[in-house]
Amino acid sequence: MSADKYLVATLSAALGLSLLPAQVAADMAVNAHSATAFWGVSAEKFEYRYSDSDEELAVIESDAWYGSDELKFRWQFTGEWEEAHNAWETLENQFLAQAPIDDFWDAKAGIRIDTPEGPDRVYGVIGLTGLAPYWFEIDTNLYVSDEGDASVDFEAEYELLITNYWIVSATFETLLAFSEDREIGVGKGVNSTEVGLRLSYDLIDRSFSPYVGVVHERKYGDTADLARASGGGTEDWFAVVGARLAF
Amino acid sequence: MTITRFIAAAAALSFSATAFGAGTHGHGHGQNAAIGEPAAASDATRTVTVAMYDNYYEPETIDVQQGEVVRFVVENHGQLVHEFNLGTPDMHEAHQEEMSMMVEHGVIDGGRINHEMMEMDMGDGHSMKHDDPNSVLLEPGQSGELVWRFSGDTTLEFACNVPGHYQAGMYGDVRFQQ
Amino acid sequence: MTKRLIAGAFAMLLSIMAWAGEYDLTVDRVTIDTGDFKKQGIGYNGSSPGPVLRFKEGEEAVINVTNNLDETTSVHWHGLILPFDQDGVPGVSFPGIPPGETFTYRFPVVQAGTYWYHSHSGFQEPDGAYGAIVIEPEGREPFRYDRDYVVQLADKHPHSGDRVMRNLKSSPDYYNRQQQTVVDFFAESRDNGFMATLRDRMMWGQMRMMKADVEDVQGFTGLINGKGPEQNWTGLFKPGERVRLRFINSSAMTYFDVRIPGLKMTVVQADGNNVRPVSVDEFRIGVAETYDVIVHIRDEEAYTIFAESMGRSGFARGTLAPREGMVAEVPELRDAPMLTMADMAGHMDHGSMDHGSMDHGSMDHGSMDHGSMDHGSMDHGSMDHGSMKQGDMDHSAHMGDTQQDPFYASGSGLLPKASNGGKFLSYADLKAQSPLYEEREPTREIEMRLTGNMERYEWSINGIKYEDSDPIVLQYGERVRFKFVNETMMTHPMHLHGMWSILDVDAGQWNPIKHVISVAPATTVYMETEVDAPGEWVFHCHLSYHAAAGMFRKVVVEGGPEEEVVTGQADTQGDDA
Repeated sequence: MSADKYLVATLSAALGLSLLPAQVAADMAVNAHSATAFWGVSAEKFEYRYSDSDEELAVIESDAWYGSDELKFRWQFTGEWEEAHNAWETLENQFLAQAPIDDFWDAKAGIRIDTPEGPDRVYGVIGLTGLAPYWFEIDTNLYVSDEGDASVDFEAEYELLITNYWIVSATFETLLAFSEDREIGVGKGVNSTEVGLRLSYDLIDRSFSPYVGVVHERKYGDTADLARASGGGTEDWFAVVGARLAF
Repeated sequence: MTITRFIAAAAALSFSATAFGAGTHGHGHGQNAAIGEPAAASDATRTVTVAMYDNYYEPETIDVQQGEVVRFVVENHGQLVHEFNLGTPDMHEAHQEEMSMMVEHGVIDGGRINHEMMEMDMGDGHSMKHDDPNSVLLEPGQSGELVWRFSGDTTLEFACNVPGHYQAGMYGDVRFQQ
Repeated sequence: MTKRLIAGAFAMLLSIMAWAGEYDLTVDRVTIDTGDFKKQGIGYNGSSPGPVLRFKEGEEAVINVTNNLDETTSVHWHGLILPFDQDGVPGVSFPGIPPGETFTYRFPVVQAGTYWYHSHSGFQEPDGAYGAIVIEPEGREPFRYDRDYVVQLADKHPHSGDRVMRNLKSSPDYYNRQQQTVVDFFAESRDNGFMATLRDRMMWGQMRMMKADVEDVQGFTGLINGKGPEQNWTGLFKPGERVRLRFINSSAMTYFDVRIPGLKMTVVQADGNNVRPVSVDEFRIGVAETYDVIVHIRDEEAYTIFAESMGRSGFARGTLAPREGMVAEVPELRDAPMLTMADMAGHMDHGSMDHGSMDHGSMDHGSMDHGSMDHGSMDHGSMDHGSMKQGDMDHSAHMGDTQQDPFYASGSGLLPKASNGGKFLSYADLKAQSPLYEEREPTREIEMRLTGNMERYEWSINGIKYEDSDPIVLQYGERVRFKFVNETMMTHPMHLHGMWSILDVDAGQWNPIKHVISVAPATTVYMETEVDAPGEWVFHCHLSYHAAAGMFRKVVVEGGPEEEVVTGQADTQGDDA
């Protein structure tokens, strides 16, 4: 990893952390008549993945937000640290503004900065996030990169309550590109899917919920070809162990 | 309303207790000798005035002697219908069930007694008349009279059995003097 | 009996001597121990709850409040009729009490009964800043009792109020551990059939609504006078005595269903005002309401005061006993209620409601009927009790059997039932003991639609949150009829400061006088207010986190004897410290 990548990662972390005390103070002062600004920090995924091909990954998907009912600012971080290469396979920071457009849906816009091992990209993002009928949590975004390439991702999650503490969470993610960006291994069309199934237990409130699960990743079409060409696999099964965190 | 006019009205109120199968209810003459029996006003040796308020009496204790005949003049100074009923706590409890039925059926509605309803045939020849000799039922502003010969030394209370009133404390003690 | 009276009189004398009109209260950081957990909170004079403040009607109350916190505080005298600048709402009645300072409240005591006090700043009240007020009447009480106890209920949560609010905003179901599960699904399938259960789940899922959405904030320990169930607050009595229990619900969020197995309770006051006594087996006390009941205890036995939360996620427990240490059986919690489509009806957009599809949905589930779907427009005020007198006795007799209550949507899952099958108090049972005001036609009607978005934990009135709202402007001397239309799935205890809320139970001049009007989901409830208090007040849902989320209004009364009242914009900041 190059120095500037560390810089971005450190900066974004520092930015988030330095904001926190001020946010806490503001929150403490909020009065009962009109509590207007809130914050939240969570990690939906904080896990270790072991693949059937002996690949090992540390994966973090975290989210920090501050704001009101009308406008929230979010910092979303996704990182995949590959043990074997000692490198970030994915290192993605999104800085977004988010506002409601409907009872159940929010629109969001901002930028995404990708600084993994390999070439960097900066994207403009517009997205939609919310709750679909039948309790599906949906998050979908349109990205346009500094190279002029457009892509769409789509994530759906469904939580099945075995009990009120044992929860099975089913996730589906896919990425679709409108043009090829060979340099970062993106082919045109459907790139990949990731399907996950995690069984968690809410150990401390909803703050700390350890889980185990399985994840299936697959690459398609041109993207699969690009992966094969660079010596990677196109399909992986992972066993995962981790915890959902919320502060 | 004069007292005499009301006595007539009160006499017309006939509460047929058997309609509700309340066997413990001591109605009629001498059915429960322990509590005493009604007597003629001419036999009374003294008159006690009992004022009814929402929801309590003044006074809250009455001293009597065994065998004494007392004429009670009961005045309702409250805004609600109240009863003056002489009996044992058990009798009051049984009577309360009857009274709550009267309220449920609108015979007693806050400050009014629905006489028409009271007379109404309940279907098997019974009605909800309220004519026990040990009891007077009064609308606000009315007064009534009850003459009673106290016999045995038993636990006697005068009480209002309109639902909730007794429970809230609308009762008084009859104390037998030696 | 004489002895008892003398003892009673002596006790009265002692308490008269204790009725100082003047009190010193310090607002302190305290440790709260519920028996289940310990936490840091806020209290008065070193403890939570604070001391019981006793006044006598007619005297002047003087309360010196010293703020030992490092943040602004305030004390609101809940239910008391007083000059608006003594009402204790920071940013509306006064600026609040800064750290280290003492504020002296001074007001004439013009009423009697059971009330309470609490901080109106931030989440200090859920954090423990509350206490009871007992006001002895000038004349005699219209009921009799040998002794009385304050029974102050609270829902103490291990999290601070700020934390609870933040968690609810992050995830509205954060504290809901009664959601329907796969296990429930199969249990229900056995009872109702797989397809019916699936259809039911699909229908609620399609609407993104939860049947289990009865209690927002679970995980609390129910307290009686600051004591958790294990710590067992105990009130002593002598057999044969009548005991007056002054129930106050000082919870942040929790309605309680209260019973004392083995004893009938005769309700004699609601919200501090005398009501025609009504004997019940159980009653539901909304947040911030008070009910005074008298129990006549004949036997030398212990009795459990059992207060189950409406959603059955917790309970408070205390004991009435002839001797310290005696206990009675503590009942099990009953099953949690589930909302039905009837409770949803107010929430749904009536225009787009498709009755046809409802029929194929959960109609056969048995929890609803056709009648219940129409009551967005259901009008409780028009319930004609009078017509019941006219005739059909069988009909009115059956009313009791089916346990209808006009203050719940027909078919509501929240309709309470007494655990022993007996009498459960309804608002419809509440009649004023003596009318406080002349009855007259209201000058106008103001509609207050209770609105919200559960998925965002947003709560509002007429779709507008406090911060975006204009004040409700009333004219001194008018009588306003408020129409509450609950379009949410939650029950809201609405509290108007400074003036009485006359609940319409269709009893004319006997309509009861309250300070909190609880409005169940999908119902319309009316109250009238004689606008007889000039100044600036507030009107809000008393669920702490609903009020903070925006179900809150400023009220300005224009005119009146004191004209110095300045009408202004809604103060959105309150006591922002």
